[in-house]
Amino acid sequence: MSSNISKLLSRRGIDHSLLEAFHHHQKSPASSRERLIKKLAKEHQIGEAQVAASFSFYDHLDSAGDPRELALCNGTACLCADPDNRLLAALKKRHGKEVTGRVSCLGHCYAAHAYLDQGQPCSGDPAPSREPEITNTISDELVRSNLKEPLLTTTPLSIEQAAELISRITTQAPYDLLDQILTSKLRGCGGAGFPTGVKWESCMKVENTTKFIICNADEGDPGAFSDRYLLESQPLRVLTGMMLAGRVIGATTGLIYLRDEYPHASTTLQKAISALRAAALLGKGINGGEFDFEIKVVLGAGAYICGEETALIASIEGRRPEVAVRPPYPTQSGLYGYPTVVNNVETFAATTAILETSGEEYARLGSTRSTGTKLISLSSLFNQPGIVEVEIGTPLDDLLYQWGGGFSQPVKAIQVGGPLGGVIRTDQTTSLTLDFESFAEHGFVLGHGGIVAIPESMPMNRFIHHLFGFVAEESCGKCFPCRLGSIRGEEMFQHALDGSPLNPQLLDDLLLTLEQGSLCGLGGGIPLPIRNILQQFSEELPWTEGRER
Amino acid sequence: MNNPSVESTVELNGRSHRFTPGESILQLARREIGLRAIPTLCDDPRLAPHGACRLCTVEITQEGSDNPRLVAACHTPVVSGQKINTHSPTLHRLRKNIVELVLTDHPMDCLTCSVNGNCELQKVAAEVGIHKVRYLPGAHHLDRPADHSHPYLRFNPDKCINCARCIRACDEIQGAFVLGMGERGFKSRVIADDFAPFGDSTCVSCGACLETCPTAAIDDRFHSKSLQAEKRVRTVCSYCGVGCNLEVSVVNNEVHSIRAAHDSPVNLGHTCLKGRFAFGFYNHPDRLQTPLIRNNGVLVESSWDEAISLIAAKLNNIREEFGPDSIAGISSSRCTNEENYLMQKFFRAVIGTNNIDCCARVCHSPTALGMQQAFGTGAATNSIEDLAHTECMLVVGANPTSAHPVTGAKLLQAALGGKTLIVIDPVKTRLAQLADHHLQLRPGTNIALLNMMLFFIIEADLVDHDFVARRCHGYQELGDNVRQLDINRLAKITGVPAGVVEAAAHAYGRAKRAMSFHGLGVTEHSQGTPTVRLISNLAMITGNLGRQGAGVNPLRGQNNVQGAADMGCQPHQGAGYLDLSVEENRAHYETFYHSPLSATPGLKIPQMYEAALDNRLKALWVMGEDIIQTEPNTDRVKKAVDNLDFLIVQELFLTETAKRADVVLPGTSSFEKSGTFTNGERRVQRVNASVDPLPGSRPDGQIIIDIMNQMGYPQPDYDPAVLLGEISRVVPFLSGVSWEGLGDYGKQWPVKSDGSETRILHTETFKHGKGILGHFDFEDTLELVEHSDHYPFILTTSRDLVHYNSGTMTRRTHNVEIMGEDALLINTEDARSRGIEEGDRVRLKSARGEVELSASVSSTIKPGILFTTFHFPEKNVNHLTSDVADHQTLCPEYKVVATDIERVGA
Repeated sequence: MSSNISKLLSRRGIDHSLLEAFHHHQKSPASSRERLIKKLAKEHQIGEAQVAASFSFYDHLDSAGDPRELALCNGTACLCADPDNRLLAALKKRHGKEVTGRVSCLGHCYAAHAYLDQGQPCSGDPAPSREPEITNTISDELVRSNLKEPLLTTTPLSIEQAAELISRITTQAPYDLLDQILTSKLRGCGGAGFPTGVKWESCMKVENTTKFIICNADEGDPGAFSDRYLLESQPLRVLTGMMLAGRVIGATTGLIYLRDEYPHASTTLQKAISALRAAALLGKGINGGEFDFEIKVVLGAGAYICGEETALIASIEGRRPEVAVRPPYPTQSGLYGYPTVVNNVETFAATTAILETSGEEYARLGSTRSTGTKLISLSSLFNQPGIVEVEIGTPLDDLLYQWGGGFSQPVKAIQVGGPLGGVIRTDQTTSLTLDFESFAEHGFVLGHGGIVAIPESMPMNRFIHHLFGFVAEESCGKCFPCRLGSIRGEEMFQHALDGSPLNPQLLDDLLLTLEQGSLCGLGGGIPLPIRNILQQFSEELPWTEGRER
Repeated sequence: MNNPSVESTVELNGRSHRFTPGESILQLARREIGLRAIPTLCDDPRLAPHGACRLCTVEITQEGSDNPRLVAACHTPVVSGQKINTHSPTLHRLRKNIVELVLTDHPMDCLTCSVNGNCELQKVAAEVGIHKVRYLPGAHHLDRPADHSHPYLRFNPDKCINCARCIRACDEIQGAFVLGMGERGFKSRVIADDFAPFGDSTCVSCGACLETCPTAAIDDRFHSKSLQAEKRVRTVCSYCGVGCNLEVSVVNNEVHSIRAAHDSPVNLGHTCLKGRFAFGFYNHPDRLQTPLIRNNGVLVESSWDEAISLIAAKLNNIREEFGPDSIAGISSSRCTNEENYLMQKFFRAVIGTNNIDCCARVCHSPTALGMQQAFGTGAATNSIEDLAHTECMLVVGANPTSAHPVTGAKLLQAALGGKTLIVIDPVKTRLAQLADHHLQLRPGTNIALLNMMLFFIIEADLVDHDFVARRCHGYQELGDNVRQLDINRLAKITGVPAGVVEAAAHAYGRAKRAMSFHGLGVTEHSQGTPTVRLISNLAMITGNLGRQGAGVNPLRGQNNVQGAADMGCQPHQGAGYLDLSVEENRAHYETFYHSPLSATPGLKIPQMYEAALDNRLKALWVMGEDIIQTEPNTDRVKKAVDNLDFLIVQELFLTETAKRADVVLPGTSSFEKSGTFTNGERRVQRVNASVDPLPGSRPDGQIIIDIMNQMGYPQPDYDPAVLLGEISRVVPFLSGVSWEGLGDYGKQWPVKSDGSETRILHTETFKHGKGILGHFDFEDTLELVEHSDHYPFILTTSRDLVHYNSGTMTRRTHNVEIMGEDALLINTEDARSRGIEEGDRVRLKSARGEVELSASVSSTIKPGILFTTFHFPEKNVNHLTSDVADHQTLCPEYKVVATDIERVGA
């Protein structure tokens, strides 16, 4: 990553972000794209190449027109719900025009197939007779829990309740607050499961007068919509958690990096921020104390990789959002080079839950190593799709069959944890419980907790083609294995779909290269579900002769 | 921390090694095993780790674990107790698979590729042993068209492997930010500006991208990365005073191409478009290849014998008739130390006069004098490498990103890296744009501004009293004078608000280590020498001398201007700066010259013109300088030259000055001869001949020797090693210098007799004991006092990146395709009020003359100020410049000219 560009961008700072200027231009272009790029380069004293590199990275920015005018979701859940892509034909007929863009997931997996119409997410029944349903929120019927007292899916906080929690944040010592998080053994809910308290503590110990809190609201994993639920329905829980983190590490600015595919979440967040500000719970000297905190929403522009924290930081700064090498870790050198804590939406909401109760009580839920609760997203092929808040350690089958109600059509496997999550045959689920350890033991990942059901009718070589294609579309293009390997994998399975046999040695080499060589979890993660499929559905694949396995 | 000897060891391929905390596995392996210990494609040791190619993946096993982990060596820090394996079947398979993937999108045309045999991808592919690409044909970028729009660079995107080294070099080395990675994923590609052709982009043509590109994706018109060369000669660039080390490829006794030397501490594999690409002048058809003698008013070809005999006879006659002081010489900073030494030796020992000067007169003579007065030594006190250790950089009257590009790039990187940058300059230069403090003063008011700086430092008591007490004279008096200054008046004079100066002064004063750099914007003024004294004051009162990361560092203009003065090409001091009016010094020289020396100080260059106009000077020998184009007040110089009885011009080309000569002698470029150059940080470096002299030309040193011999003075043929031996005995501070001892990296003087060099001067004491502080009041230049009523604009001049001084060399290269004429910068408001638009022809007038230029409307200069360059003879701006000069050194005031401007045809 370029520390020079980062430093130059920091001179203008977050209030003059390139991304915001891009969005503004996309909505109402005041000049040509060329002039915009020249102007921004001059203002920020960086090269036009850096501005152009950034602009040209995102799906939703295009000088030729708005790619979001009519865009089809190509997420995994939508693929599984509408494998023949009947919606595409239906949309063409209904709108009388071509689909202009693609989105990787709109978080409507419970009602697939989804698409964007004039930037608004819709869920469409492929049958042309029915009008699409514009669904702003995830309705209450879609949200359930197996806990008596759910933590994250309970009644949303009122502003008064938030005020009470914030007064605890402002009056308690940062170390005492941190202690609660450490005691809770909370692990990050974004997928990697890193202990939250440890992350905060390491950032807290870095001496710097400027630090940042970033809420990663770039829930890009197709199949997951739990963050969308929290942002739209529980925004005060998320914001309070960010303030708590800010107080602990000594940050005065919190940024929410929100994916552009969640326009309603942007509205609810802005409302919640305004409400906090109106109640003097944001700004300088909150509650008359010495804690200052501001929160700003930064909108993404369509790029899955921005969910990776170093790419996310680059995106906020205005750099081309490619993955950076580590170390340094963001807690040491993050946004503009300042110490930064990046946590997922659900993690921040969970810290609020800990504040509401206590670290000890939170740790009582779950097992000794994985504590608390987890939001699970169930795709549209479940009889009861939606969000389920489960206690960590709940048997997977309880979730699938009791809380999810089983499947609405024959399903041969589920994919848990997004496109990089494991694929599990439906007859292999019994021994799994919903916690990091159980999944890890079986060679899977719990990830962000999205579950997509794969119907019997889905040919597995097509599913692998989709997975490779997803990575090829979303790879930032930096590391060689991912940039080249994903497209070669996609091509290999296109050939397979066209009737050519698969070379097992070459495929194994490719998967190994991605696994061992990729810079980040995108290229490094995709071999897992593919290997799961190769192992469990080998008979579906057109191997060359002589394959030994 | 714990005992480092226990802590800092690691097992690398089964052997224990010490490591430096914080270093990466790749750094360790390269140091301990060798540069190619681990294959890489995206790494360049000069750039921050990128982690893209993943070829450097290694296995590490932490203490207490049995499972090796795979990590990229380039960005994984070494942890003590770790076991590292750089090669294993697993790693081999991974590397092979990665390279195979790269080859799925790479043209397999190695045998006809310009970098065949010198391609990193080819090497890595051979190393891992790829025999076949197993993937079926798929998407590729092999049809991306080549971009040949740039005069030098060639971009072949089909050969690009997306390692981003070019982009990172453009950013982390040059700081130009021209290149970026456009689009995403498989579509990602290197772009210039906003997807512009290279030739239309803001590219500064430094070639850092080319130098680092591992394949032929970025190539140049000369194919400098090809292996096609009979020999590679290491030498020193002959443009500016940075002294970049170059590697010249020679084919058929011709310069084929040039690359930057990676192991040189001066430039670390970097250089600029002049050093790298602008060598075509050396065998340009315009090169003089035979002596010329004026016959009936016309220059006609002659033999060497004729020319040498004529010169010897003429000079002998003139000396006999008018005395030795009727003959003068102007030596050349473009020539080697040995040649400059010979030139002054000729005038002192053979002619018997001290009438020898060089172009330092018109550039840094105030620096040499001012710093001699202050510190006893008129040269940079520190080294450029000190930038790594400083906290604050003060750049006064210099635009190094254009005039000293490699040092400029280093300054820019240091500023971007967070070091405080203060720029004092009337022009919003590239550095000024990025500076923390830009003091954009009215040209000619340096003294007023620096006095304000001194005032605020003393007022805030940021004075290093201990240093001042121990090592300086005159603080009490300086303080008394400075405290009485009327700051508001000075603020008005400079046009810079007091608060702005105060902030900058405090930044400089508070820094634990602060370096100053200055250029001709300091010296080429009527108060040039006093300005150097004030810069020296600033450094002394803040204790910024004799330490790493501090000092006063003039950016010397020409490749060997430091050396020309060191060698004694000045009228008052001989080689090694010994005062010739002192008998003991003359005796020292006489033991080597075997000839009595004159005690009378010689003429400075401007005095030579005066003497020529007064008929006192009869003969002038100008070596390698186009005085007609570069000296101020062209018309007067022409008159002076035309009034001489005999003018000898030794040149590469028939310059404006050569056209007026009685004898023209064809000299050689530094590609054709050996010797040494001394760069701006006192580093004496070896220049090695790459090719033979062009037929008919002779090395300049040999020409001088031929004339010496013809005049009866025995001097053996030109041999730089032998001459350097003599120089080391004559010049006290070069006593330890020898041709062999200089090696590839050169040595910074003083070089003691044991051969040890000196990076930082004045560490314990100044040459003359204590440093001298002095107070100087601002005086408005006569030029403005006399002419500003009729000529309300102030014209100031400078060099552009693309051309070098009068352009004699660079105009004879493809650089003209990048910049083909001088333009006049005019402020937006002034342009509006004068009805001038971008590109309009404008007439620029001064009390001396007028020139026509095309206008460029700009906000980089303030209203009332005009700016131009002086590279093209057809628009010689020196028709306008005046005879006003620095009072002490007679360095001309190029930087302030009272002018008026009008649109042509208005």
